[in-house]
Amino acid sequence: MSADTLGPLLALPVVLPLTGAAAAPLLARLSARLSMAVSILLLAGSAGVLLAAAPYVFGGHVLVHYFGGWGPVDGHVLGVTFGADSWGLAFALVTAVVGAILLLFMLSEQGDLGPRELGWFSCLFQLLLAGLIGGALTADMVNLFVWFEVAALASYALTAFFLERPLALEAAFKMLVLTNVASFVVFMAAALLYADRGALNMGQLQQALAGRPGIVELAALGLLLVGFATKAGLVPCHGWLPDAHSAAPGPVSALFSGLMVNFGIVAIGRLVYSVYAEAGRAALTLLLVAGLISAVGGAFFALFQDDLKRLLAYDTIAQMGVLAVGLATATASGLAGTTYHLINHALFKALLFLCAGAIVHATGATKLSEMTGLGRRMRWLGVAFGAGAVAIAGIPPLNGYVSVGLIHEGLIESHQFGALAAMVLAQVLTVAALGRAAWRLYARPSGTIERTERLRPGMLVALVALGVGCLAFGVLEPWLTAHVMTPSASALLDHAGYARAALSGGGPIAGRSVSFDYLNPAELLATFGTVVAAIPVLRFAQRHPDARFITRVRAVQSGSVNDYVAYQAAGLVLAVVALIVTQ
Amino acid sequence: MKERNHRPAVGWVCTLATAAVLAVVVFSLPRGTGPLPAIARYAMQVALPRWGTTEPVSEIVYGTRGFDTFGETFLLLAAVVGVAIVARSREARRGFIGEEVAGRREEAAVDKPDGPPSRDERVAERAEEQERGDESETAPDTPDRTPIGAPGPETAEAMTVVVRASVRFAAPILTIAGLYLVAVGYSPGGGFPAGAAMLGVALLAYVSLGYRRVEPVLRPDVVEPIELAGALAIAGLGLAGLLLAGSFLANILPLAAPETILSGGTMQAFSVVEFVEVATGLIIAVFGLLGMRDEWCR
Amino acid sequence: MPVIVANYLCAALLFCLGLFTLLTRRNLIKMVMGLSLMEASTYVLLLSLAYRPGSTAPVLLDMPPGKSPEQVADPVLQNFCLTAIVIGVAVTGVSLAVVVRLAQHYRTLDADEIRELRG
Repeated sequence: MSADTLGPLLALPVVLPLTGAAAAPLLARLSARLSMAVSILLLAGSAGVLLAAAPYVFGGHVLVHYFGGWGPVDGHVLGVTFGADSWGLAFALVTAVVGAILLLFMLSEQGDLGPRELGWFSCLFQLLLAGLIGGALTADMVNLFVWFEVAALASYALTAFFLERPLALEAAFKMLVLTNVASFVVFMAAALLYADRGALNMGQLQQALAGRPGIVELAALGLLLVGFATKAGLVPCHGWLPDAHSAAPGPVSALFSGLMVNFGIVAIGRLVYSVYAEAGRAALTLLLVAGLISAVGGAFFALFQDDLKRLLAYDTIAQMGVLAVGLATATASGLAGTTYHLINHALFKALLFLCAGAIVHATGATKLSEMTGLGRRMRWLGVAFGAGAVAIAGIPPLNGYVSVGLIHEGLIESHQFGALAAMVLAQVLTVAALGRAAWRLYARPSGTIERTERLRPGMLVALVALGVGCLAFGVLEPWLTAHVMTPSASALLDHAGYARAALSGGGPIAGRSVSFDYLNPAELLATFGTVVAAIPVLRFAQRHPDARFITRVRAVQSGSVNDYVAYQAAGLVLAVVALIVTQ
Repeated sequence: MKERNHRPAVGWVCTLATAAVLAVVVFSLPRGTGPLPAIARYAMQVALPRWGTTEPVSEIVYGTRGFDTFGETFLLLAAVVGVAIVARSREARRGFIGEEVAGRREEAAVDKPDGPPSRDERVAERAEEQERGDESETAPDTPDRTPIGAPGPETAEAMTVVVRASVRFAAPILTIAGLYLVAVGYSPGGGFPAGAAMLGVALLAYVSLGYRRVEPVLRPDVVEPIELAGALAIAGLGLAGLLLAGSFLANILPLAAPETILSGGTMQAFSVVEFVEVATGLIIAVFGLLGMRDEWCR
Repeated sequence: MPVIVANYLCAALLFCLGLFTLLTRRNLIKMVMGLSLMEASTYVLLLSLAYRPGSTAPVLLDMPPGKSPEQVADPVLQNFCLTAIVIGVAVTGVSLAVVVRLAQHYRTLDADEIRELRG
């Protein structure tokens, strides 16, 4: 299909899930199965349109569409622009496919709910997915904000869905406060950029920002970074993440961890590389620092958690740190690794959270100490959880190995060896944390759980699909690196091509080349080393969970909203001051 | 409630630092001396005549940047559904739901009596008992029967005959004002303020006539399908634009002469359907909030 | 220095007031009010950024005498303000519903006592 026919169809990946969302409560009153079928069909349609656009976009182009035909006039664009480049399209495709799998899991797991509740649940789920896809495909600053806000508003009530759990409401409130501050800050930044440079289209804005950006633009960059870092869960704006992901229902946590926080990283990448271009390089140091603290800190906190979903949530913070570090490398290998890890994280984190959610739904147990031996009683869950844990540990042939390896390659290319050491440390802590969880699940059953429900067929299909995805993304590495990850890295690095395309209805992107040596002995040794080094760390964590140092660090996550907002405000001030002073 | 501040020193430091940063940014902002950005001039000089209307803000909202407003509509839908979820009442469920077990356990942990109940808890319990007492069926319809000067509190559903007569007079005028805002698309207005005006009329009716009288019209079962149908209609309008004119939300209706009710083509249709969606959405949200009960804590 | 800078400072002040409320007040309703204040600051900022000296509202239907159609404020920023108002209403509605449910469960509006999730 040519670019001319594909361009107008770019609206469909967003409109189809929105239509499904509006139709879901109406259909759920008739029949839950009908509602499920229609919603999954519409998401599949959305994925289909994205797949049809994939060969053109991944072949090194940006697919651009001006809504209503309000195109550029003398280099100024008034109308809303959609610009699908490889970076955005990869995320949108993953969102559509994994979103459909999660929707299948959700509707078959929660099929016992009342028809009205189920309809609303399905509606918000699809609204969130549509917001994520829209934000990835857009090339307009205010449109990016609108889809970000749609996703945010949908997420609050999804967290608080089971109203009988006071923890869910508490988590929803904290998430609400922090995400709202973030959204006001992003909106202010978009308005400041428009008032100062008169541009809403990202390509036009990039050209208007060329040369030395003033104080207003740098402050806007700082505001945007803090806003999207809150969405992504990077330290210091991470306060809501552990609570929200642990208290939300299982498929919702999988959606948050696998797709929603990734959206923050996608937006940051877009803004730092494609909009701010040269001026954005000053922000890379900020990203590196935030990423390293998140990676090590998140993994450290994960070691001492008793609640399984809270452990996985801290691991999400750690992985987002890894992604931020990958973005900060500014090399083709590093950015290709970031895209790969983004997709891999969606797959394995969704798999782990679905297992954890299924355990809560089937048994009512939330703490690891109550789940001893559950992996043996519920076999499929045990296998799925094991696959997810092995994938995060970065053991070949599953997918974590390749993405982390590519990011390491990027760090070596940009001579950031301190960061490399910190990443390896974070990996050791992550393996230890997940190893502890897997150990508990496979130990001899202790008999505290009385009843477990069988897994429904829809849930099994979803778990198997995600597990196969993890394996496939590990094994098919050469094809994926060449045809998906490298175009995404090129799209980010070729900002001039992006701007030209956004202002002229489409265009090519200069390609780079990235290769990954699967059997690199250094990489294999490092992987083996992290697994071996995790064992003493695990033993230490199990023997001394109440050490003074550990309790003091854990008190940082104090549970009080005021403290979390203070961290966020401090991050805001530091980001803006750092950007202004270093220019 | 007397409350101690939470870490006031941290609060002052963070706020003053943010204020300093914002002040620096503010003094570098454009002082409004330059001309309007090219986009704004284009909107008023080129796009406005092309749409055949005279109101630039409505033209930008529903016409040229209509895709943003489309996202806005579903944003409002997300919020309304969110409030509907949080304010919902218990429904019958089948089977074993693990979250209920977890919920009961957490509720017990939260409710555990650590000594005598605090002042907040006692006040809350007394208020809840009073609320439960208010739901009796013996409450009078209106307070018109009680003699003037009788001691309170009033337990009637509706208000006195004076209020009801005034509302019966004022509500149609306000409704027409709201409909005027949305119908005359070539002057300021549009779907959003008109929808808010309709919410005001609904609230006037609720407050003066009592819930029992307005319930047949403002029941969730009646209003929710209208709202969802409105959202579907907007999506359908956009898809029609895609099929017939080659771009989502492009204009497919003939453009009438400016300064007439039908001027603006698809823009005006979008605005009218938006009005329906916003009005019903806000009604669902507000009445959901008003009808919240205490059934999830037992 | 033109008066419009006072508007911008007012917006910054409102934002900081809202932030101060979120940082120091423990009552949940006051925190929601703080969020409302921050929202209000974005409205003031957007409308102030739209202003040009000597301009009138962008209503081209019945312009006041003596003003040509070029002397209007920026309509694009006013579109953003409409968006912001809708978002503000939506967010306040959801926050208040969540606060009511929280108060029903925990029997208190004090954020320091609603700290079951920590560490």
